[in-house]
Amino acid sequence: MTVDIEPQEPESTAMRFEVLSSALKEGASAAARVGRLALPGRRPIDTPNFIAVTSRGTLPHVTPDNISKHLQVSGAYFSLEDFVEKSQQNLSRPPPIFSAPTNPNHPTPLYSFTGTPSHITTILAARRLPAVPSPIGNSTKSISIFTNTGFQNLSTTDYLSAISTLKPDITVPLADLTNNSPPGTSPTSKRALRMAERTDEWIVDWFNSPLSTSTSTFAPVLPIPYPIQWEYLSRLAEDYIPSGQLSGLAVHDPDIIPDLHSHQPTLLSLPLLSLSNPSNPHHILRHVALGTDIFTLPLINAVSDAGLALDFTFPAPPPPPSSPGPLPLATDLSLPSFSTSVTPLSENCTCYACSAHHKSYVHHLLQAREMLGWTLLQIHNHAVMSAFFTGVQESIRRGTFEKERLNFGRVYDSEMPAGVGERPRMRGYQYKSQGGEENAGKKKNKPAWQKELAAAAAAAGDGGDGAGKVEMTMPI
Amino acid sequence: MSDPTVDSGSLGLLVEGRQRIGMWATARRMASTTKSASSAALTFELVGKCSTTRARASILTLPHGQVNLPIFMPVATQASLKGLTPEQLEATGCRLCLNNTYHLGLKPGQEVLDAVGGAHKFQGWNHNLLTDSGGFQMVSLLKLANVTEEGVRFLSPHDGSPMLLTPEHSMSLQNSIGSDIMMQLDDVLVTTHPDKARMREAMERSVRWLDRCIAAHKYPERQNLFCIIQGGLDLEMRRECCREMVARDTPGIAIGGLSGGEAKDDFCKVVVTCTEQLPELKPRYVMGIGYPEDLVVSVALGADMFDCVWPTRTARFGNAITKHGVLNMKREIYAADYGPIEEGCGCQCCRPVDQEGSLGITRAFIHHNAAKETVAAHLLTLHNVWYQLDLMKQAREAIIADQFPAFVKKFFDGLYPDGQSYPDWAVNALRGVGIELLDG
Repeated sequence: MTVDIEPQEPESTAMRFEVLSSALKEGASAAARVGRLALPGRRPIDTPNFIAVTSRGTLPHVTPDNISKHLQVSGAYFSLEDFVEKSQQNLSRPPPIFSAPTNPNHPTPLYSFTGTPSHITTILAARRLPAVPSPIGNSTKSISIFTNTGFQNLSTTDYLSAISTLKPDITVPLADLTNNSPPGTSPTSKRALRMAERTDEWIVDWFNSPLSTSTSTFAPVLPIPYPIQWEYLSRLAEDYIPSGQLSGLAVHDPDIIPDLHSHQPTLLSLPLLSLSNPSNPHHILRHVALGTDIFTLPLINAVSDAGLALDFTFPAPPPPPSSPGPLPLATDLSLPSFSTSVTPLSENCTCYACSAHHKSYVHHLLQAREMLGWTLLQIHNHAVMSAFFTGVQESIRRGTFEKERLNFGRVYDSEMPAGVGERPRMRGYQYKSQGGEENAGKKKNKPAWQKELAAAAAAAGDGGDGAGKVEMTMPI
Repeated sequence: MSDPTVDSGSLGLLVEGRQRIGMWATARRMASTTKSASSAALTFELVGKCSTTRARASILTLPHGQVNLPIFMPVATQASLKGLTPEQLEATGCRLCLNNTYHLGLKPGQEVLDAVGGAHKFQGWNHNLLTDSGGFQMVSLLKLANVTEEGVRFLSPHDGSPMLLTPEHSMSLQNSIGSDIMMQLDDVLVTTHPDKARMREAMERSVRWLDRCIAAHKYPERQNLFCIIQGGLDLEMRRECCREMVARDTPGIAIGGLSGGEAKDDFCKVVVTCTEQLPELKPRYVMGIGYPEDLVVSVALGADMFDCVWPTRTARFGNAITKHGVLNMKREIYAADYGPIEEGCGCQCCRPVDQEGSLGITRAFIHHNAAKETVAAHLLTLHNVWYQLDLMKQAREAIIADQFPAFVKKFFDGLYPDGQSYPDWAVNALRGVGIELLDG
């Protein structure tokens, strides 16, 4: 099956998505598929695949030269809320990203402001992944976003204008989401209905407005049951596929994909971008089986911050005969057992971190809280995930995906290890401080080392001779 | 007022006449020839001398390759240069950087270093390493330290437990680290220490500790041990220390105890007093120096090697070092400044986008992420390290072309474009070696 999205205006034939092979032959329930997403000027993305998730315009801990040299990642997710904070010193200054001059290496303000290499496909949406819950609700024409200087409203017209200026390759129009409910809970049916209605209105406004032809629109699919949003989804299929304005879907919960198969199969000619936050590769594989093409994986950044080196491949290797149980999905390099281990972060990995360094060094960097530890883990973890998706693509092509997916579930642990290491310092835009008694005295970050040192000195008193203690001679 | 054509004597220092004449006679003979000296694990080759000042250009060959002097050495305290991969550090042109013995002794610890096979292998750095002795922590953690003839007793800043650092322990650790240049353990006092008797004790003890270090050093054939001249701001004590240390014939010589808050005039007097007495064919390392003005003046006074955490630390605070001074990228004025960190800089961040390897980083992006995402710190670290290395490279080229005084003037004019407000200490120190900044 080959489906080309051919919008009406010739200059807007920006994006091409082809489904090259699917796992349908493996059984009616398996919708996993192999495809290729190509945007002019960018490195094509073989799907299923993932794209990197940025924070304030950068992949955390990885400078652009290392992205170009050491990562296979072909796309990056950006959030507008990372760029539009109100300056406290200069309230009238517009966000600087909008005026960033472009150059041949950085063809849009999004590239030039962030220094993103031009082979990377850019996806710009409103909110960070994962988004910080907002206590303020959305209104009929705006959503609440969280910037470095606090909560702000973002109107549908301001968002459209921002996208027109920044010209990402792909954008996701605003959706009325309930980002303030605890994860895992669904909105009430009344709220869900309003989410669908508002998002539907907003998409009509969106497509009625002129948008840069170099930006492809991926319409949001809400994390609510199909019957509540069927009108919205039918409009997408019936109005905006024929008009050529709709290039893909941004799916907040991939479990809706089977309903699309049943009720709106034409929507499945589009590439499906998942904005859900799978917490381990088993969830990713399940979403691949449902038909997800591209993943955003905040998981990788979190795993690196936790001091974990991913350690899995697809298809899974045969379990070692001596193995007492399932294999761990990642190695916790903060554990003291790695202090003298000069082997690569994971066996057979060929990434820069594994070829130039070893577990012992990364363990030390984590112990010493040196930033390079997180950099090397990011390089490694993105490489493991790239190899994982390459394995998935080959498996689907071979027609063995379902079998190998089930085997993967048997060979590996069901959850990621937690990671005992101390994380990098949290910044204000990454979390909302919680008031209330139960949070009093809880700090997101440990005090700075000078304060610790002062406390240690005070605790040691002035007794320079350490009377009563066993004197150690060497470990200065 | 001094005559700018007169050499070092114009500093007004009491210098033994015979020695001075001897040294400058050598200098004249040297102007067009290359001279070298070797020890077991080091070759020092003098390739150029400034005909006005005492600045020298040389090639230092160490077990992990050749480095060009004068040189700035960035400080990778805990075996990592603040977020840069060794590959990125190499790309800045760095071929010699520091590790800190005190920190590596705590983490990962000597056992791990031995098990892994030394610090080069541990951190994936195939170029040269220099380690300090751990003695500097006596100054920086003074409240927690107590010095005896045996060594230094610390209270661990981590858990308050008592620890002892002796010259033998320092050598043993640095042997485990495998650094190309090791530093002797010395008794460091802040130069402004008021007690002259204590200062003399520290100087003399440092000489005794050098003897213990030489005796304890296991691998003189593959690691170079440098001595450290002490003596505070007392020039006579510094001279005495120079004589004692030079007599012990280490492959290189450091001037220590400086950059501890002394007046810049005093700092310059100490450097010039020492360089005057040191043998010509050995590298001279002024410890803990990193401000660009200090580097340029110290080169003019005859020093070759420098290290400091300031360029990389200040990067993490959002500060960029440029030829026009230090710019704080967190300031609002840079929020919408789409120029490079420094116009004309050749580092990866700044070089024009049509050049190979350019990252096209703007001041606006650094402003956007300074003190927020670590990447901004990494990029500024790349820039600042490049700046420092490039400054020394330019100084070297100027020395070889015998254009060094012009280089110095241009450098100071970049920082003080009015051509007037040069700092007095720099004017005086440079006048002492024949450069008149205020001439215009």
